[in-house]
Amino acid sequence: MEFYVEEGKELEQNCSTLILPALSIGNVGQLAVDLLISSLKAEKIGYLDDPNILPCVGNDAYWPSPPGDLTLPLEAYESSSSALTLVQQRSPVVKGMMVEYAKNLANFASSNGKKHVIILSSLDFGRWHTIDVSSGLQVYYLSTSNIDGTDEDCERLGWNRLQEYNPSQRMWKYLNTLAEEGSTLEEDLPFEELGDEDYYPSLPFAALFSCFKAKGLKVTCLLCYCSEGDNIPEGFHLAEAASKLMGLSQNEFHGNEAGRWIIPYSWKSVYGPPADISLF
Amino acid sequence: MDDVVTDIPPPSRFMLEDLNNFTPPSPPLPSPFLVFSTLDSSKSFHPSILIIAMSSPSLHFLHHLSSKTLIGTLVLPEFPFSANSVEPLLSDKSCNIYALNDSDRLIMIALVQYSVTSERSHAVAKLLIGERIIPERVLILDSVQSRNFRGKLSPDDIFAVKLETSFERRSSDTGDSPLIKGLDYFPSGSVVDGLAASLLSRCQLKKIKGTLCVSWPHFGVSVMSLVKSLLLKGALAGINHSSDADLEDEYLRFSRSKDFHLDSELYT
Repeated sequence: MEFYVEEGKELEQNCSTLILPALSIGNVGQLAVDLLISSLKAEKIGYLDDPNILPCVGNDAYWPSPPGDLTLPLEAYESSSSALTLVQQRSPVVKGMMVEYAKNLANFASSNGKKHVIILSSLDFGRWHTIDVSSGLQVYYLSTSNIDGTDEDCERLGWNRLQEYNPSQRMWKYLNTLAEEGSTLEEDLPFEELGDEDYYPSLPFAALFSCFKAKGLKVTCLLCYCSEGDNIPEGFHLAEAASKLMGLSQNEFHGNEAGRWIIPYSWKSVYGPPADISLF
Repeated sequence: MDDVVTDIPPPSRFMLEDLNNFTPPSPPLPSPFLVFSTLDSSKSFHPSILIIAMSSPSLHFLHHLSSKTLIGTLVLPEFPFSANSVEPLLSDKSCNIYALNDSDRLIMIALVQYSVTSERSHAVAKLLIGERIIPERVLILDSVQSRNFRGKLSPDDIFAVKLETSFERRSSDTGDSPLIKGLDYFPSGSVVDGLAASLLSRCQLKKIKGTLCVSWPHFGVSVMSLVKSLLLKGALAGINHSSDADLEDEYLRFSRSKDFHLDSELYT
């Protein structure tokens, strides 16, 4: 993975927290990062080039003006007032290369002075075993602060540790092995059939969590359950959670939506064109 | 009736294997490589303009440009030579590279006549731009991908839109003539993927002036006329070209053979 800095820009040393999405059902992490970049008016500072990311290009995702600012699949933004770097991922990972991609990102974060990485992602509602409708849209978390995945700040904010996390479980241990330098995914898994308990460590957020952890960085995953559909509310929810975790104040945001958020310009067509009314 | 459980999800959603860390990777393929007619294997090329054509209208027009010379080819090992002809044909699965003869500057043209997968695009883009071929400006010609386009698309619409690298945008501001004139920008929220995206990304990363022009529809005499007009008023201004009616008749026949909208189980 190579980092190409925009002309006249540089990575700020004081931006020691990195926020990025992990691919997931409903693209919720990516929606949340879009909202944060847009609402903090974070500045694009460069591009990450990785052969494990599929290519895509588009017009500016955040602002209608000035027109024509090119968007690439993996971009780095900074909000120096919030001491934040944000990486947005717009296209999938090449099949079978998720752990390699996660290792490359971890190398980038580690070699550029990042201390805390916040991963935003979502989980399939169909896998939710302990349904608690009284709690509304609950935020779940996973942290490197303690061996069992707990973190005091997250507990204080009223979030639940991901109960399905078990660092002794075989696939979490296998991920830790893969996250080490020089390890590669074996063609055939060293286990027989995969069961329900192997589901969570198979998800992209787990690869990122394990690889950043292997670099000695503090990692916090923020997760929410959802189904495929209109996932914008979940995007707002995770963005809100991330801003609470970082203790961002109201005046760091520049938006009007619910007092702080700016809807990215590209979202106006997120569900495609309106229906052809000549059908009716 | 569509089966929402088993149908391929729309492009913004993921297949299960996309979200599985333990999906095994595909077997590796041999690397693509460039072959040039020059004996000097270290020779690099510095064209003023490199045109890379992928869309049917641009391939058809540029294939018939008589003032070009074949100088090389990009070999993708998964496409065997055996099916290709000695003299280049539009039906060949090839990526031949040409130099334009009647110009005081070097213009190179790559006709990408095979389908490059997204997974291979990064490697192909590296070969075409920035290693042995180091262009001053790049023009990429592709078609709008309906699966990635968030606006309305009708077969009756004929249009082209563009994306540019920041260096190309700045050169327009300082008076350089654009390679493609009079086009609006690609709308925000829609994306282009595949080889065209890889090529434009590479231009952006390497600080090369690059333009991607995507046209719609994929086939048709009208869209070919549009692309031809854009090229002759822009990147190929002043270049000799053949412009006889046979070219359009031939393309009309070619388009009809490719236009699946005309296929119907009603007409058997």
